[in-house]
Amino acid sequence: MPELDPLIHAPARLQVVTTLSAVSEAEFATLRAALEVSDSVLSKHISALADAGYVRSRKGVQAGRRTTWIALTSTGRKALREHVAALRQLIDVVD
Amino acid sequence: MESNPLQNSDEARSELAVADQARQRLAAGLRLPTSLLPALAAAVTIQVGTAAYGIAAQTVAGLAVALAGVAVFLGTAAITLHQFRRMNGVRVDGLGSQILLGTGTIATSAYVGALGVATWAAFESHSWLVAAAAVIGGVGYAFATLRWWHAYRRDPAAHAGGASPQVLAALAVLACVGLVALVVAG
Repeated sequence: MPELDPLIHAPARLQVVTTLSAVSEAEFATLRAALEVSDSVLSKHISALADAGYVRSRKGVQAGRRTTWIALTSTGRKALREHVAALRQLIDVVD
Repeated sequence: MESNPLQNSDEARSELAVADQARQRLAAGLRLPTSLLPALAAAVTIQVGTAAYGIAAQTVAGLAVALAGVAVFLGTAAITLHQFRRMNGVRVDGLGSQILLGTGTIATSAYVGALGVATWAAFESHSWLVAAAAVIGGVGYAFATLRWWHAYRRDPAAHAGGASPQVLAALAVLACVGLVALVVAG
């Protein structure tokens, strides 16, 4: 039976990993715009997720300026899958 | 204190909905470069036409023409994928695979069918049929990419994955080596 993942149980973290699942890699600014959060809030979540191995980030250049690219790792993808399954199970139990 | 399961269920539903909305917001904001589909159709047309000519010619000049066609296709694919990444601030490996490998029944059928007909026509010296088959293959390939794009927009998580840029580059090199080997052996 899948269990809720405490690291991505917070709605903001779940949004970060869910959004990243739509792409192979996203620029920090693109991700921030999609999530409608501030730089500092997103940085904090990315750091926590990177520490757990759920995302990885790398420095790059986009249109001549330095940027950070973020990607969901296979560990993060698996964690998201299991967490979503646990949430759906919770919904199904009540329905 | 034990939490209310109904409240948990509502929270779970709400969390999933908000997360899905964020993902859809990102996918909905992505745009294909306007030149991508016409450029892809033209590049595949050139590649199919030159490959058919090269295979039928069985000469060093034919091989050079076929390789030039591959180079045009790979160059076009690399430029359009770079434009997509620069425009949108994201990389989608599924799109790269769709463009470079023609994954999917329509793209594969369009490409293989066009190459088969064009090659036969080149052996029979029917230049007009080589051109017609190449154009149909190019348009079909671009149409398949457009269909993939619509599918991706509907369900981005299911279609985002694909071969990585490194794997695609390795396959491109292998394709060139294979083509050279085929013509040299022939």
